[in-house]
Amino acid sequence: MKNRKYLYLLALLPFMVVAFMYEIIPLIMVVINSFQSDTGGGFTLENYKTVSGTLLYQMAITNSLKISLISAGIGILIAFLGARAVMNVHSRFRRVFMTILNMVSNFAGIPLAFAYMILLGNAGIIVQLGRTMGWDALANYNLYTSNGLAMVYVYFQIPLSTLLLIPAFNAVRKEWKEAAMLLGSGSTGFWLKVGIPVLMPSILDTFSILFANALAAYATVYAIMMNSISLLPIQIAGCFVGEVKIQRGLGGALSVTMMLIMVIMILLTNVISKRFQKGVVKK
Amino acid sequence: MKKHQTGSVIILLLILVWLLIPLAVTIIYSLFQNWTGIIPRGFSLKAYVEIFSDPAFLTALGRTVLICIIPILITILLVLLALFVTELFFPGLERIVQIICMIPYTIQGVILSVSILSMYVANKTFLGNRLVMLIGAYCIIILPYIYQGIRNGMRAVNMPVLIEAAEMLGSSRIYAYFRIIVPNIISSVIVSSLLAVGIIFGDYVLVRNLDGSAFQNIQIYLYQAMKSDSMKSSAVFVVIMAVTFAISAVVLKTDAADVNPDKRRTAEYRNMR
Repeated sequence: MKNRKYLYLLALLPFMVVAFMYEIIPLIMVVINSFQSDTGGGFTLENYKTVSGTLLYQMAITNSLKISLISAGIGILIAFLGARAVMNVHSRFRRVFMTILNMVSNFAGIPLAFAYMILLGNAGIIVQLGRTMGWDALANYNLYTSNGLAMVYVYFQIPLSTLLLIPAFNAVRKEWKEAAMLLGSGSTGFWLKVGIPVLMPSILDTFSILFANALAAYATVYAIMMNSISLLPIQIAGCFVGEVKIQRGLGGALSVTMMLIMVIMILLTNVISKRFQKGVVKK
Repeated sequence: MKKHQTGSVIILLLILVWLLIPLAVTIIYSLFQNWTGIIPRGFSLKAYVEIFSDPAFLTALGRTVLICIIPILITILLVLLALFVTELFFPGLERIVQIICMIPYTIQGVILSVSILSMYVANKTFLGNRLVMLIGAYCIIILPYIYQGIRNGMRAVNMPVLIEAAEMLGSSRIYAYFRIIVPNIISSVIVSSLLAVGIIFGDYVLVRNLDGSAFQNIQIYLYQAMKSDSMKSSAVFVVIMAVTFAISAVVLKTDAADVNPDKRRTAEYRNMR
């Protein structure tokens, strides 16, 4: 009987084989490769030196950080306004709004890039509209710069961030607001001193998800910019695809850098978030 | 309070307009032959007729459907077998299975694809076949959704009690699991499969990195059409978005009572970039 029980472990085998072949070992190999030279030889930090010492890769890191921080920041801001507004409206309108958000949250990648090129590309509909109307800000809009691109990032951050923040707003009780009002605080005062601090852990969590989301975005950027902007995912893919010789070491080091940035962001938001939770408990 | 509501409605409407403009403009674009001024002119369904009579488009569509089905079937089978072992015989291993299933949430399409590529590209056996690599990668990317779907389903039907009852009535555990539990959780399996279809359908990163343009799925088709003919590609766009929205509508409808739909959707979202 006992032996038969262990026989059942065989049923776990296919799962483990696939998981190890396509998930665990490839990921471990990326880390190992990053410490090995592409020309052969043993352990080396050469790849990391290349990453930190080459202007192209420095730019990839700063550009990626910049666009992720900006788009996550704007995304959070709009999500905050949106989620707060959702709490105030009629439940039927709320449902319509949430359904549309859910649908649009699947609008990403190549189709999104294409829609933005139709809209804001060089001969885009809105750009033309701006020209005819004489609105310079629209007429001179350039999608193919990092600032122009940030708009597309903001677009895909909004449905995600709003959907993530809405549940948190349920925790902000009406009674608190009424109490604050009775004590003479205005709406702004309430949000600054009570609402936002209470929501802070959720806001930070959402922020780190948005950050990761933007950091890893690849299809959308690639479709719009090809390789003409230096971003981490683009450089990583560039090391493996389309080159005559695959640069395992360098690509590995870039991948590890990207994963590290993500981990640091998660740790950072966790630490700050703990502070806020402590503060709430103390009060 | 009334004034408050008006303000909120305006904010939400602004967000909706912002989100829907790119969709609406591209749909209109696909229906008119000439849109250089402010008002589009020359209504025509020409672009749709053109793509649906283009064999390359139809093959791309067929390929996409095929590449959706295979990894999903494989992953469902793997997860069902794995959970069969951990739920009934080795609960201690459950944690390991869970961690393995959740890792793909956090690793990104780019990193997963290049790591698989660099490992198998020089392999001379069938493992070096690009399509095999792609199927392997898809199995991993959809793992979290399939796992959570099946797991939630099992919780909802109260599996231990059902198995116990079946055993008391004289059936074996294997029989009870595959003939009683699995049919009972089939609806959650379907919902998670649909989520997985959505992911693979929207994928460009994995297919591009692992197969170049050799395996022309619908996203690659759109990407290539985009450079030459924007009316045709906006029709392709409309077809892709219609399928995507149809899938998510079905998921939303059947998934309304799900325990933690937000979390699932978050990750889905992330992998699609």
